[in-house]
Amino acid sequence: MEYLLASAIGAMTAAGIYLLLRQRTFPVILGISMLTYAVNLFLFASGRIAINLPPVLLNKTPTYTDPLPQALVLTAIVISFGMTAVVVLMGLGAYLSARTDHVNLNEGQDDSAEAGK
Amino acid sequence: MNHWIIAPVLLPALIAAVIILAARYQVALQRVFSVASTVGLLGISTGLLIESMSGRIGVYELGNWPAPFGIVLVLDRLSATMITLTSALAVAVVLYAIGSGWDKRGHHFHALFQFQLMGILGAFLTGDAFNLFVFFEVLLIASYGLMIHGGGAVRLRAGVQYVLYNLLGSTLFLFALGTIYAVTGTLNMADLALRVAELPADDTAMIRVAAILLLLVFAVKAALIPLHFWLPATYAEAPAPIAALFAVMTKIGAYAIIRMYTLVFGPDVAVTADIIGPWLMPAAIVTLVIGMVGVLGATHLGRLAAFAAVGSMGTLLIAVALFTPQATTAALYYMIHSTLAGAALFLVVDMVRARRLSEDDAIASRPAIAQNGLIAAYFFATAIAMAGMPPLSGFLGKLLVMDAVRAHDLVWVIWAAILIGSLIAVVGFARAGSMVFWKVETPPEGTAEDAAPHAPAAALPFVATGALVAGIVALTVFAGPVTAFLSDTSAQIFDRQSYIAAVMETPRAIEAENLPLEGTKK
Amino acid sequence: MSLILIAALPFLGALLPGLMIRSGRTACAWATASVTLTALIGLLVHAPAVMRGEVIQYQLEWMPLLGLNVNFFLDGLGLLFAGLILGIGLLIIIYARFYLSRQDPMGQFYTYLLLFQGAMVGIVLSDNVLLMLIFWELTSLSSFLLIGYWKHLPEGRQGARMALAVTGMGGLALIGGMLILGNIVGSYDLTVILQNKELIQASPLYLPALILILLGCFTKSAQFPFHFWLPHAMAAPTPVSAYLHSATMVKAGLFLMARLWPVLAGTPEWFYIVATTGLITMVLGAVIALFKDDLKALLAFSTVSHLGLITMLLGFGTPFAAVVAVFHIINHATFKAALFMSAGIVDHETHTRDIKRLGGLRHLMPVTFTIVMVAGLSMAGIPLFNGFLSKEMMLDAATDAAWNGNHWLVPALATLGALFSVAYSFRLIVHTFLGPKRDDYPAKPHDPGFGMWAPPALLAVLVVLIGIMPALMVGPLVATASSAVIGGELPYYSLKIWHGVNAALFMSIAAVAGGLVLLALHRPLDAAWIRARRPEAKTIFDAMMRAVTGAANALTDGLHNGAMTRYAAVFTLAVILAGSAAWFGGTNPAPAREALAIGPVPLIGWILLMVATVCMVAFHRNRLLSLVLMGIVGLIVSVAFAYMSAPDLALTQISVEVVTIILLLLALNFLPKQTPVESGSARRFRDGTIAVLGGLAVGGLSLAMLLSDFSQESISAFHLANSKPGGGGTNVVNVILVDFRGFDTFGEIIVLGIAALVIYAMTESVLNSPVGVWLKKRPINPHEAGDRHPLMMVVATRVMMPIALMVGVFIFLRGHNEPGGGFIAGLIVAIALVMQYMASGFDWATARQRYPYHMIIALGVFAAAFTGIGSWFADRPFLTSNYGYFQIPPMGEFELATAMAFDVGVFLCVVGAVMLALESLSRFAHRAGDRPSPYPMDIDPSRDLPQEAKDA
Repeated sequence: MEYLLASAIGAMTAAGIYLLLRQRTFPVILGISMLTYAVNLFLFASGRIAINLPPVLLNKTPTYTDPLPQALVLTAIVISFGMTAVVVLMGLGAYLSARTDHVNLNEGQDDSAEAGK
Repeated sequence: MNHWIIAPVLLPALIAAVIILAARYQVALQRVFSVASTVGLLGISTGLLIESMSGRIGVYELGNWPAPFGIVLVLDRLSATMITLTSALAVAVVLYAIGSGWDKRGHHFHALFQFQLMGILGAFLTGDAFNLFVFFEVLLIASYGLMIHGGGAVRLRAGVQYVLYNLLGSTLFLFALGTIYAVTGTLNMADLALRVAELPADDTAMIRVAAILLLLVFAVKAALIPLHFWLPATYAEAPAPIAALFAVMTKIGAYAIIRMYTLVFGPDVAVTADIIGPWLMPAAIVTLVIGMVGVLGATHLGRLAAFAAVGSMGTLLIAVALFTPQATTAALYYMIHSTLAGAALFLVVDMVRARRLSEDDAIASRPAIAQNGLIAAYFFATAIAMAGMPPLSGFLGKLLVMDAVRAHDLVWVIWAAILIGSLIAVVGFARAGSMVFWKVETPPEGTAEDAAPHAPAAALPFVATGALVAGIVALTVFAGPVTAFLSDTSAQIFDRQSYIAAVMETPRAIEAENLPLEGTKK
Repeated sequence: MSLILIAALPFLGALLPGLMIRSGRTACAWATASVTLTALIGLLVHAPAVMRGEVIQYQLEWMPLLGLNVNFFLDGLGLLFAGLILGIGLLIIIYARFYLSRQDPMGQFYTYLLLFQGAMVGIVLSDNVLLMLIFWELTSLSSFLLIGYWKHLPEGRQGARMALAVTGMGGLALIGGMLILGNIVGSYDLTVILQNKELIQASPLYLPALILILLGCFTKSAQFPFHFWLPHAMAAPTPVSAYLHSATMVKAGLFLMARLWPVLAGTPEWFYIVATTGLITMVLGAVIALFKDDLKALLAFSTVSHLGLITMLLGFGTPFAAVVAVFHIINHATFKAALFMSAGIVDHETHTRDIKRLGGLRHLMPVTFTIVMVAGLSMAGIPLFNGFLSKEMMLDAATDAAWNGNHWLVPALATLGALFSVAYSFRLIVHTFLGPKRDDYPAKPHDPGFGMWAPPALLAVLVVLIGIMPALMVGPLVATASSAVIGGELPYYSLKIWHGVNAALFMSIAAVAGGLVLLALHRPLDAAWIRARRPEAKTIFDAMMRAVTGAANALTDGLHNGAMTRYAAVFTLAVILAGSAAWFGGTNPAPAREALAIGPVPLIGWILLMVATVCMVAFHRNRLLSLVLMGIVGLIVSVAFAYMSAPDLALTQISVEVVTIILLLLALNFLPKQTPVESGSARRFRDGTIAVLGGLAVGGLSLAMLLSDFSQESISAFHLANSKPGGGGTNVVNVILVDFRGFDTFGEIIVLGIAALVIYAMTESVLNSPVGVWLKKRPINPHEAGDRHPLMMVVATRVMMPIALMVGVFIFLRGHNEPGGGFIAGLIVAIALVMQYMASGFDWATARQRYPYHMIIALGVFAAAFTGIGSWFADRPFLTSNYGYFQIPPMGEFELATAMAFDVGVFLCVVGAVMLALESLSRFAHRAGDRPSPYPMDIDPSRDLPQEAKDA
């Protein structure tokens, strides 16, 4: 299980980073969303994995999963939701105002293009 | 129970809610609330500052849960200094925003401003690492709104970059916190300090990663190279009062570094000692140089001010990176100075921009602006302060920093960087000032009548900027008592035990039976 | 008068001119003069005591932590300089009153002048080197303002910047030097430093300190190769040139060398650096001065030369030479200030300073001629004038100096310098005033009024008096000042005209004779000089500045070019590198936990996730598809949460996912549907490499974390134990959220609220800009669905609405004990409301919605905050909870905790924020001519039937 979770977090991070390095706001935002999934899982994993254990107090079970990271992740999810909403709308506003959704202020010219000129 | 400690967080939050609820469409009313709130905050934080001078560390246990299980707010000399500085700056900034009419150029300026203050003040007061993250997010999201206040394509695009960059920072923060929790099992800073100190010697890799990731998070805020890239465009494009308020935003990063890397990963914590100061120092030196070179290389006043801010962060972080009481005193003094001076500089730049026909801030000759002499005098004063020229506090701060680095291996490099950096900045400021204020373009014939320069009549912007300049002067004149207090402050910072004892002083027994927890070593 | 008052008076007085200018120019000048006069009298009161050998002191603590204190002391050297500064300052103030024209802002001028004066007095009285540094840099800053006083002149602006750059650089070097000096001695107090000669000269840091301090002195005193700024500073009004650039500021460097002479001088390093620099400067300055046609430029280079002379004398390191240096400082100040003022008079009267356009002024301006004659002959070193005395003594001192064992080099060069000095002095007199009267002066010259010629005349009188009876006039002053410089016994010297027949006399005669020959040959020499190719300092300096500024600009703009892609790549790489370095510098123990077995369900989920992730990257250009894939990833993540014992998280994740996808879909409506191919394969490879590295790093860290254990018991054990007894809830996650860490949640809902406000404000500003107009006028896309509010959806959402609300209430109420809570409930209700918008359109739904979302957010914040504040009344901290059990008949026993009131706040904030955000977004969709439809759906069979059918 641990290997699956760790590799999943890693894969989502990699995907997130790749999209983050694109040049248009939409894929960049998707990249950040992927990173958010990854980091939420990571934060969750800091309580270690437990399967079929309740975070709710029941009289029957002797052991519980760590509830604290869950609470932290919940907070993190909510906050990142707010952030995503803002950046999506700002990206949209910038696109409508500037008629371009390029993330680079120097318009289409980034380091690789620059190196060529 | 001293509830005043939480007042700096609650007051702006409630005032912001009142503004949204009752004064959504009445700018005049918003202004009244906003000014009342900031003045109130200044009063409260001054009271807390005076209280902190006794040396007793105030702890506020939210929800009545003892540390480390609940969240605590901690008032020591350092946090009291920071909140007082922020509140004082906020008063000047809000007055400028009102006087210049910036607050009317979009919606929700005052509500967002109050929320921003709440986030900043909360970040200074909290004693919990995750709560610090939450307050970072509060202040960040409010800053996103304030940064694009007034709109415009360029500002929006710069704003998107600012947001994206800081989202990366927030993500990194969560990675760091997850790692910290996974190693230590706690989030309270005082408890962290205890647990990190007791870590087994063969288990250092994870905590080192956590420490360095956290450092990078704060480095983003503090605009440390190579994580400073968000700053120039953001500061240059943000509305002037907001750029001025942002002068304290970078200081949050510096504050967090001081707090975290003296308390938790202090210089005497062996596992991280080799990667904090030794890595921070060269980066800080490069930051200083890049910032000062930017002052010379800037073609617009806004960018000039932004790079001056980067440069001052470099100087500040050099002092921080030493992690000695003496250097921390220097850092704190320089921090107060550069906050006031940086903010004043942005306001002066805005005064120029508002009065130009072209409404730009290019460092080029333009027709004479109204009140040229007075604004030039302000610019001269703030430029002297930012460049670290005598007689203002910038020079004293610089001397303190240089004096503090004496024993460091890189002392010659640091001295050279600081002095040459100052020289570059002086040349840059002189160039900009003489171009903008002296080399006045005569308007073409015939346009003289209708092309009368914009002359915003309000005196409030001058008062607000003047107040900041007066603050710099006061910081200079009263350097003796101020440094004496800051010296006590840094002594308290390095007295980790008293902080830990204050926070963890109520070791209430765990009341119910101890339930076995999966993933916990028994 | 207290020393601090003497130093502070000019600063305080600097406020006066600005005010007094309202009463007229004369009143302004008098006010300024009275300030200086008061300070001068205050100083002279101390003179008798100082002459007796006493040292007057004043001490005040400023920054004890740094060792920076307001300590002043007045000894012979200080008295000499302060007297010069204030005395000549007084003359300059009077002179400037008549020199400045009506267009010049006189108040400003006097303010700057007094600031400068205060700074100079501060330098010479400081008993603390850090304090002295402050005054030192202040002179640079105030002289910047004075040189640039005529700000409309480009030469003024450039000269000011050049002077600031050069002297500022020196000042900064000086800071370094002084800090080292203080470091060696352990004190920044000058009186302490002066007593530690052995300590300083034995220190390994002596040489660096010396070089840095001398850099400061040489730049200030315009020594080669930093001399070039001085002539360009002549763009300043002449009173400034006379005051700063001959009598005072340029002497600050000499003052400092003299001040530190007791501890720094006497070593070979000192001799070779200082004496050599002085010698070169003296000769070079004198040579250049001869070929300058501009009166002020000639005087500027002659000043450079004389400053070099004094520097050389100090550099010799012998007591006798030091005495001569002091004496020459006095003499030079008198004749050179007089000459500058006279040059100003000539300029003022004839409107030119070009020697080649002058000549024959003797009869037209007899008074001025007399003054120039006296001062000029003194400068040339002709007997009966004071310049002769110190020049003789200088030559005498030079004969004793051996440069690297060579005994004739220094005297020969000193004589050469004196020779050129004679030549340019005579040229000044002869070419300007003698010769035939011309008829092509730009203005008709005549002597100025008394006020203007009186100050230089007074100085000229001094020149003669000192020249005739030196011992009587300045003997005691030279003695006290010199003993302060030497810091010990005075050597044997005598101030008199005739020293008998010695080497100096022959050298002097040679110099005068040679100088006269040079003057006779001036025309051919000048032609040769003009033809010769010389490096032009200003050109070099300007080119250097341009290059530096250009490089700074290129570096700054190149580095910060606004390329987010690069910023992000640097960020990611920095994090990966720093993290890896930290990791590999530490040790990681063997895994403490055994990995759990991999079941089939998680394996399938993992494969799905991997496929979705890879596809998302592969197809990211198709935005809609990548959005769908992201939704799938989010879904798998929430299932994973559910599987790994986190039902609350699963619920939250899935509801957030829904809202996020809706938001992105709506946004995509306006955005391009495709992402163009922009990166080349090299870029993609680079990005891919960074991504893989990042993935490996994070994955590795995750694995290490998952297989390790807490080092100590987690604090969550306390949460589990106290959730029920202390927090009154069995859902520990919820209790943590609303109670243990309720403050986090308080911040979190505020984040959401702010997010909505930000979105609202941004939408408003975009819609109120020209973009809004464009948006309203944009044509309707023919490919859009004709049926915008489909029947099926409307019906479905209507049915779902009450159910969703019920579910929301249920989830909310059970939150404290079972998975659920205010946040999830809020999202569910928000989704239900959004559905109405999507189905029936914005306007229809808005018309049926009574509460503005702003208000709901604010109420949410209030609810949460006041719940927290409520505990104050029980004298408990913010957010302390209380709970009890209540029977609500149909639903059984319910627990009511104050935490639930807090949760209501959470609920309200979430609903308000989500709705406000979506409402704002929908406003972009508004088009001009869109009429709010009164109907919930577009197609209504009954409504669309022909009227007849309805009637039937």
